[in-house]
Amino acid sequence: MSPLTLGVLYGIVTLVVMFSGMPIAFALGVVATGFMYFFMPAASLDTITQNVYEEMASITLLSIPLFILKGAAIGKSPAGRDLYSAIHAWLHKVPGGLGIANVFACAMFAAMAGSSPATCSAIGSAGIPEMRRRGYSPGFAAGIIAAGGTLGILLPPSITMILYAVAAEQSLGRLFLAGIGPGILLVILFSGYAVYRARREYAIAYKAYEQGGVKSAYLEEEHFSLAQKVEMLPRVLPFVILLIGVMVALYGGYATPSETAGLGALLAMVLIAVVYGVWRPKDISPFITSTIKESTMLLFIIGMSLLYSYVMSYLHISQSAAQWVVDLHLSKWMLLTVILLMVVVFGFFLPPVSIILMMCPIILPPLKVAGFDLIWFGVVMTIVMEMGLIHPPVGLNIFVIKNIAPDIPLKDIVWGVMPFLLLMLVAVILLCIFPQIATAFPDALMGAK
Amino acid sequence: QSTALKISHQFPGGTLEEGDFRDRLCRMFAAEVQKRTNGSLKFEVYPGSSLMKTNAQFSSMRKGALDLSLVPLSYAGGEVPEVNIGLMPGLVPSYEVGAAWKNAEVGKELNKLLLDKGIVIVSWIWQAGGVASRTKAVVDPDDVKGMKIRGGSREVDLVLKAAGAAVVSLPSNEIYAAMQTGAMEAAMTSSTSLISFRLEEVSKFLTSGRGQSYWYMFEPLMMSKVIFDKLTKDQQNAIMTVGAELEAFAIKAAKQDDIAVATVYEKKGAKVVDLNAATVKKWQTIARTTAWKDYADKNENCAKLLKLAEKLL
Amino acid sequence: MSHGFEMEGKGGPSGPPVPDDPFVAKIAKVLDWLNKAIVSISMFAMLLTAFILTYSVVTRYLFKIPTDWQDEASVFMLIGVTFFSAAYVQSYRGHIGIEVLSSILPPAVNRFRLLLVDIISATFCMFFSWKSWTLFHEAWVDGQTTSSTFAPPLWIPYAMMATGMTLLSLQILVQLLAAATNTSNKGRPA
Ligand code: NA
Ligand code: NA
Repeated sequence: MSPLTLGVLYGIVTLVVMFSGMPIAFALGVVATGFMYFFMPAASLDTITQNVYEEMASITLLSIPLFILKGAAIGKSPAGRDLYSAIHAWLHKVPGGLGIANVFACAMFAAMAGSSPATCSAIGSAGIPEMRRRGYSPGFAAGIIAAGGTLGILLPPSITMILYAVAAEQSLGRLFLAGIGPGILLVILFSGYAVYRARREYAIAYKAYEQGGVKSAYLEEEHFSLAQKVEMLPRVLPFVILLIGVMVALYGGYATPSETAGLGALLAMVLIAVVYGVWRPKDISPFITSTIKESTMLLFIIGMSLLYSYVMSYLHISQSAAQWVVDLHLSKWMLLTVILLMVVVFGFFLPPVSIILMMCPIILPPLKVAGFDLIWFGVVMTIVMEMGLIHPPVGLNIFVIKNIAPDIPLKDIVWGVMPFLLLMLVAVILLCIFPQIATAFPDALMGAK
Repeated sequence: QSTALKISHQFPGGTLEEGDFRDRLCRMFAAEVQKRTNGSLKFEVYPGSSLMKTNAQFSSMRKGALDLSLVPLSYAGGEVPEVNIGLMPGLVPSYEVGAAWKNAEVGKELNKLLLDKGIVIVSWIWQAGGVASRTKAVVDPDDVKGMKIRGGSREVDLVLKAAGAAVVSLPSNEIYAAMQTGAMEAAMTSSTSLISFRLEEVSKFLTSGRGQSYWYMFEPLMMSKVIFDKLTKDQQNAIMTVGAELEAFAIKAAKQDDIAVATVYEKKGAKVVDLNAATVKKWQTIARTTAWKDYADKNENCAKLLKLAEKLL
Repeated sequence: MSHGFEMEGKGGPSGPPVPDDPFVAKIAKVLDWLNKAIVSISMFAMLLTAFILTYSVVTRYLFKIPTDWQDEASVFMLIGVTFFSAAYVQSYRGHIGIEVLSSILPPAVNRFRLLLVDIISATFCMFFSWKSWTLFHEAWVDGQTTSSTFAPPLWIPYAMMATGMTLLSLQILVQLLAAATNTSNKGRPA
């Protein structure tokens, strides 16, 4: 069987097993092991556990639970509620103000975390319940957080950009800086949509109420005097202290990125203990338990997907697919389109880390020959991979949301993220027309290439 | 009927003519062996750890789940303690001494040991390294006193500690960020990696490995013995011959990188310093009582290998 | 705020669903007890990890004393937390899957589908446990360590991985038994 036929078979079997309802982590493991058994040397089966262990035993990957813990400590203690009350008090006159606040919160957290699920979880655990309390539809609330969370790998620091820079032999500093412009573009697009959607949901709620229906939380009239608003400001302090504290530790050279994860989690715990008196085992055990559940679920999926991508790589599926595209000898922009489509398709099943490791060695040389700036492409590829994080069937951020708010049906989440997927596509197109969005910032700071 | 063998490595991927020389060597090896076996052996090269994690390669080869790999031998030091000799500071002071290992007693002993563990050494490759630093140039052992530095291996760390450094441990993909923020002041690694990690952007000093160095790393092209034994005599011969022939290319390319790294850092405005015989000696003296001793105390094999290696000094 | 996990996290009045069959229920109860004990230890391990990483920052800054063991200690701790907690997460069906078929298929077919999914999941986890134990055995016999300066023995994380996967397999088997013996159709996600 040729690698491409095998690849189609691999994809079909994966879809069938996943839609059977088997937990994603086991499904990936089952498909990988099954194909190993039929198509790979028998010795491969002896190496699966070591492969999974080697993939997981990385402090970079394992900082995810600590980032989740930090988020949960803030998000699930009164600290999160206070933060949102304060933002709401200041922004409630703006339609969709809380939505914007969430997008900004995601961006701020993304600047601290290197991964998207961590960002999603940290802001979502406070953000989703708060948005829903104010009447936002569950799908909309989930969409904002799922999409906002993807900024985690676009805004520096970013685990995937580190891997890309190595594979593409490009400057990591430049690549990090190149992510900032598009990151801001996405923040603006997401915020704009939040305003539009919130206004529409408000209008529908208003109409329903006028016709004698229930009064949605959207319609609650609230008034805050200036004194009240100012009084609420100190409540934002714990979050600001945490953000600044971690930034200083990281960018001031006091801590390595992995140490920052631990430091941030501990700092968050200390803050809620001092400010809110949340320190007794019975107070803190709920959110540590939820952190354990969430991170175990996620790390199992990541660990198994790395086993899955190992098989895919061994059978030369991803490489052959990429080679096949290269051999088509397409025009410059067709080549880019096809390659990005492939990233989307791989994004159906694989996390960004695996996509970079498998595809970059093959797709980068032809892109370079075609005259694309590889820094620019790294940013575009990151956004396309971000889309993979929020589109089914395997979208890590969707699973995180499902965990934070188990009562929102998966269907609502998936529909909720759709508009954001479109916005990200818009961002990619804008980047193609105006590459300066990515390159201007690094060029200004580090000199033109 | 042709057999397809997989070569895995952790370095950036390129082509036959261009890129990281370790990747090029794998590709040259693949092309030449395929030619000499009239296509009965074919190869797939997996660069950049795109097949499996770096640390999983050695034991996968031992089990026969991976065919070939080009990897620093000392990475397997946790699994087979003897192989730590592949990155022993001061034990190899030049490419010439490194090249002499293959046919000397130490090489034969190491070869035997690895065969025992299920590994065939196909191509003997040595590479010098240096230090990228953001605070001050590292020449003498005294220079690292109090410096936050990453040695990257147990043996190097032992020497650095004895010299008074504050040894930092962190994964290689975090080196850049840590150097940028100052969480780490200096890193010690191979010349080629000093280039591919792009540390010149965040460094002000480079201790180059050109000419003299106390840091030589053994990173051979290796093959799984289980797989090797299944091949025909002709195929085995082709593999070993081509592997040996490529050793000259490896030395030349490694030496070129030692010079290239200096140029790259100079262009970025970093100050480049070189080592001389006297400074190398100083590092060697510290290594003798720390890393070497620590290694020899591990077991009888280690003690023996060290003794044989010292004969070449 | 009242969201799923927090209610469950307290152990709640409900805990994971109790199987109908008294014998299966007994095993489930033991496992449940074990899982809760493990989660308590995991909580502590997680806090300890955060503390260790902070400690290394502080000692390096204040006392100029470097630590070279914090990353690996943290990795071991978090590997332990992840694998040991897998069974606990499974007891609440917390490993997420795509449940679109449940609303489409007739109940009888659905029940069969769920049984099949559990059988295959259990088989995979058992296979993984077996291979983890052999990995542990190798590391133990050869005295393997990580290749760092700290060089802790590798049997520690391998043993945690093997034990965790074994517990996870057991957990799925008990859920499978429960599903096979239950008279009502409970304990599955909607
Ligand atoms: Na980030
Ligand atoms: Na996806």
